Amino acid sequence: MASQKDTANRIGSVKNIQKITSAMQMVAAARLRRAEQRIQALRPYADTIETMTRTAAAAAGSIPDLPILNPHEEVNNVGLLLMAGDRGLAGSFNTQIIRSGVAARQEEIDEGRDVTLFAVGRRIDSSLNFRDMEPSRAFTGFTDRPEYHNAREIATELIAQYIDGKVDQVDIVYNSYLSPLTQVVTRQRILPLAEAQILHGGLSDDDDAESLDEQHEMVEGETEPLWDYEPAPEELLKRLIPDFVEITIYRALLESAASEMGAKMTAMRSASDNASEMIKNLTLEMNRQRQAAITQEILEVVGGAEGL
Amino acid sequence: MTPDGAAYSGEVEMVSTRTVDGSLGIKANHEPLMAMLNPAELRLHVDDSEVVSFAQGEGYLQMANNQALLLVEEATPIADLKLDDLNAKLEEATTRLEASEDGSAAHDLAERDIHRIQRFIEIAEAQT
Repeated sequence: MASQKDTANRIGSVKNIQKITSAMQMVAAARLRRAEQRIQALRPYADTIETMTRTAAAAAGSIPDLPILNPHEEVNNVGLLLMAGDRGLAGSFNTQIIRSGVAARQEEIDEGRDVTLFAVGRRIDSSLNFRDMEPSRAFTGFTDRPEYHNAREIATELIAQYIDGKVDQVDIVYNSYLSPLTQVVTRQRILPLAEAQILHGGLSDDDDAESLDEQHEMVEGETEPLWDYEPAPEELLKRLIPDFVEITIYRALLESAASEMGAKMTAMRSASDNASEMIKNLTLEMNRQRQAAITQEILEVVGGAEGL
Repeated sequence: MTPDGAAYSGEVEMVSTRTVDGSLGIKANHEPLMAMLNPAELRLHVDDSEVVSFAQGEGYLQMANNQALLLVEEATPIADLKLDDLNAKLEEATTRLEASEDGSAAHDLAERDIHRIQRFIEIAEAQT
């Protein structure tokens, strides 16, 4: 049996761990708030890009025939972008993505398609390599604070692979952010880009967007015939439309980052709670040992006295 | 406006920037315009004496009803530009350019980055 001293040592080390986990919890909470703000900040930008695209499309009369809008005739190779974190210690955040990504891959293979994997986050990259499913490209080093150019890098790579015919469809698998406690693994199609998504609001995911649309339509209604374009609306659309892919990926990166912080916060909170519980039990144990030792000593004293 | 929120919002007398076709200055009552912007120095003339400047990445400009809306992928206040950082980034982008194949997407991206960073360096140097 462990001695009283051993138990005291264990209590000490558990307390240290608790200090670390509660500090990590606090850091995650602060970062979570920042990540939430960044999701909010993206909204007006995404909405405006969308309304601008619609205005330009109306002026051009039609959406130009861009390769990223055209579905390939046959889908033989599916690209899957698995998006999670660079670091662990975030509960099931990373494993959920790996699990559903691997399941999705298997499904596609069962249906006779090839799968090309892309990874965002060091954890995903290493897990995939461990399973002998080496991703065709891994993007790492920015998942806790993604920036717009990261999204562009990913989008450019995916678009290039799609246009070159290396993949015929691209989906992302990521944790979408609902609340600090809930993240939902989401699979979203990003290529080919659906025309409907451009014309009917694919970037804004809910009702607030409507009021913005109305505002914009008012502006449009008053001034439409006078719009001046530099360059021609068709040229503008050629750059605006790929932006949809970039923004979709950027939003996914931001949501994934917020989810990671939420998951980390929750994981660290349960670790801290666990440590408190353990400290309580160990203290009880230590007191019991102390009492046992005292009883033992009294018995020895009494026994010795009787012997005299 | 940038993907990370609004960089500046308020009334200004003139906006000066650069579109794909060349330099552009916009004052009040300009006709409705939609333009594609190249990396450049963005100057917001608040009034005759005050000018707010940003180093601006690629983006779009929309002018309607006397409201100029600029969507750019990044806007850094000129004072926050750091030559050392920019030079490091330029070097990194150049390495990427050399490592990538001609005509590949990575190549184009690196070229775009280099172009933007060079513009920023020019802007930063003009400041000092």
